[in-house]
Amino acid sequence: MSARILIIEDNEAAMDLMVYLLHTSGYRTFSAENGAEGLRLAKQELPDLIVCDINLPEMDGLEVLWLLKENSGARSIPIVAVTALAMVGDRERLLRAGFDGYISKPIDPEIFVAQMEALLRSARPNFGK
Amino acid sequence: MRLRDWELLAGSNTVHGLFGMIWPHSIEIGAFAAVAILAAVLIAAVSLFAKSAAGRRRADEKFRGLLESAPDAMVIVNSAGEIVLINSQTEKVFGYPRRELLGKNMDILVPHRFRDLHSRHRNGYFTEPRVRAMGVGLELFGVRKNGDEFPVEISLSPLTTEEGVLVSSSIRDITDRKRFETALREKNLELENANRAKDTFLASMSHELRTPLNAILGFTSTLLMKLPGPLTPDQEKQLQTVRSSGRHLLSIINDLLDLARIESGRVEISEEEVHCGDAVAAVVDFIRIAAEEKGITVVVDVPDEIVVRTDARALHQILLNLANNAVKFTAAGSVTFRVRTTERPEGRVTGFSGIEFSVIDTGIGIRPEDQTRIFQAFSQVDSSHKRSYGGAGLGLHVSRRLAEILGGSITFDSEVGKGSTFRLTLPRR
Repeated sequence: MSARILIIEDNEAAMDLMVYLLHTSGYRTFSAENGAEGLRLAKQELPDLIVCDINLPEMDGLEVLWLLKENSGARSIPIVAVTALAMVGDRERLLRAGFDGYISKPIDPEIFVAQMEALLRSARPNFGK
Repeated sequence: MRLRDWELLAGSNTVHGLFGMIWPHSIEIGAFAAVAILAAVLIAAVSLFAKSAAGRRRADEKFRGLLESAPDAMVIVNSAGEIVLINSQTEKVFGYPRRELLGKNMDILVPHRFRDLHSRHRNGYFTEPRVRAMGVGLELFGVRKNGDEFPVEISLSPLTTEEGVLVSSSIRDITDRKRFETALREKNLELENANRAKDTFLASMSHELRTPLNAILGFTSTLLMKLPGPLTPDQEKQLQTVRSSGRHLLSIINDLLDLARIESGRVEISEEEVHCGDAVAAVVDFIRIAAEEKGITVVVDVPDEIVVRTDARALHQILLNLANNAVKFTAAGSVTFRVRTTERPEGRVTGFSGIEFSVIDTGIGIRPEDQTRIFQAFSQVDSSHKRSYGGAGLGLHVSRRLAEILGGSITFDSEVGKGSTFRLTLPRR
């Protein structure tokens, strides 16, 4: 069974790009263009991995992270920040906040899927077996 | 006399505490303490001379001379706290004539609210007039005859005389220094805020530049990975050019952000003849698609042959900023570009003779309470707008700075719900 990935991203082009890359590699995706929708889908679908932008309208990626960690069902889902916040210190700040991974934009499509696979494997050692 | 002797005799020390209030504060105590120690040394030396009557007279003269030569107010009190001797600096600093102080309790010089504490400290000091550790960071106050309080720095030395132990206080009025320190602190705070604003801006700028590049570079890559299908050799070559140029752009952006952190840029201006019609047309070209998508009508009202001598790049950047804002903050209606020459009013030496570029929109307008802030760097008026309107909130700030550099100005009128008109006026040369 292919992994299911939730993408929370308000930028349409960035969303299209990630969805396209994951679909062509056989993943199922759920799309949310804001944090509230993302939280709802996370609780409802319990995906294998969550990709989350940080600068989101209303509720930002950090709030999404905190609220997810408060939810017993969704708490253990790995969540990776994919963000254009790429100044010195941003990676450390986000990882310290509790994200399981950090990928800066522009993403590199040639390795993006491999990065997702690595995150899935490290979170679920039995994944794919 | 050896060092050891006079140290013992003078028992010189500096104790901040007699005058009350305790606050963390660090000051140039070193030099001050040195003066106090020197004074104590001389006092002690003088007292050594005071063995004979003649010697005592000479010593008295020297002692008074010494007191008068001190840069600070010197107040010598006995164990009852009564003032025995003062110098004329004391009269100046505290505003009392000498006769009103001699024989009085020195509490007269201490603000009311500290007097209890002060007496206790003084008694304590007389019981044990030994060298104490100087309190680091104490803030003390004196009070003048007219009731004004002022910050002081005090150092104390016990004097052993035939009349008993006296204490010499050397009191410095540090009002001016406090004022400078406060001004400096405020300045530092301003600088900190400015730096924070700059960092926020740079981070926001970095974000805004990377977001479109993510799609440009990303989809160029998916095509080059042939995910949607095969490519002809020409397509592949051209896409590679797109990708390498995109990556180049990304590296320039990164360099620029680094540079901006280090340098506050200097704008180079080179003036040339610019046809206003051309300048406006170039800007309209940039925003036409965005305007069309929103269904906004673009109106150009520029008379032929108006030429301005200015920096073309800066003019373009200003007009583009004004145009982008107009489109960004307008949901429906029109954006109008208008150019007019303006004449200095007849018979006046002041006023402006120049060329006025207006960008008139039918957008959301600017609330009166926000109008003073719109030219401030790095801030859109309402941060909750940030996502829906995008941008770093830098356009107007940069535009106004550029306009000033060009010898011109930017003004605006705006009404909430009706729209805004921004006017760039440049001098005619």
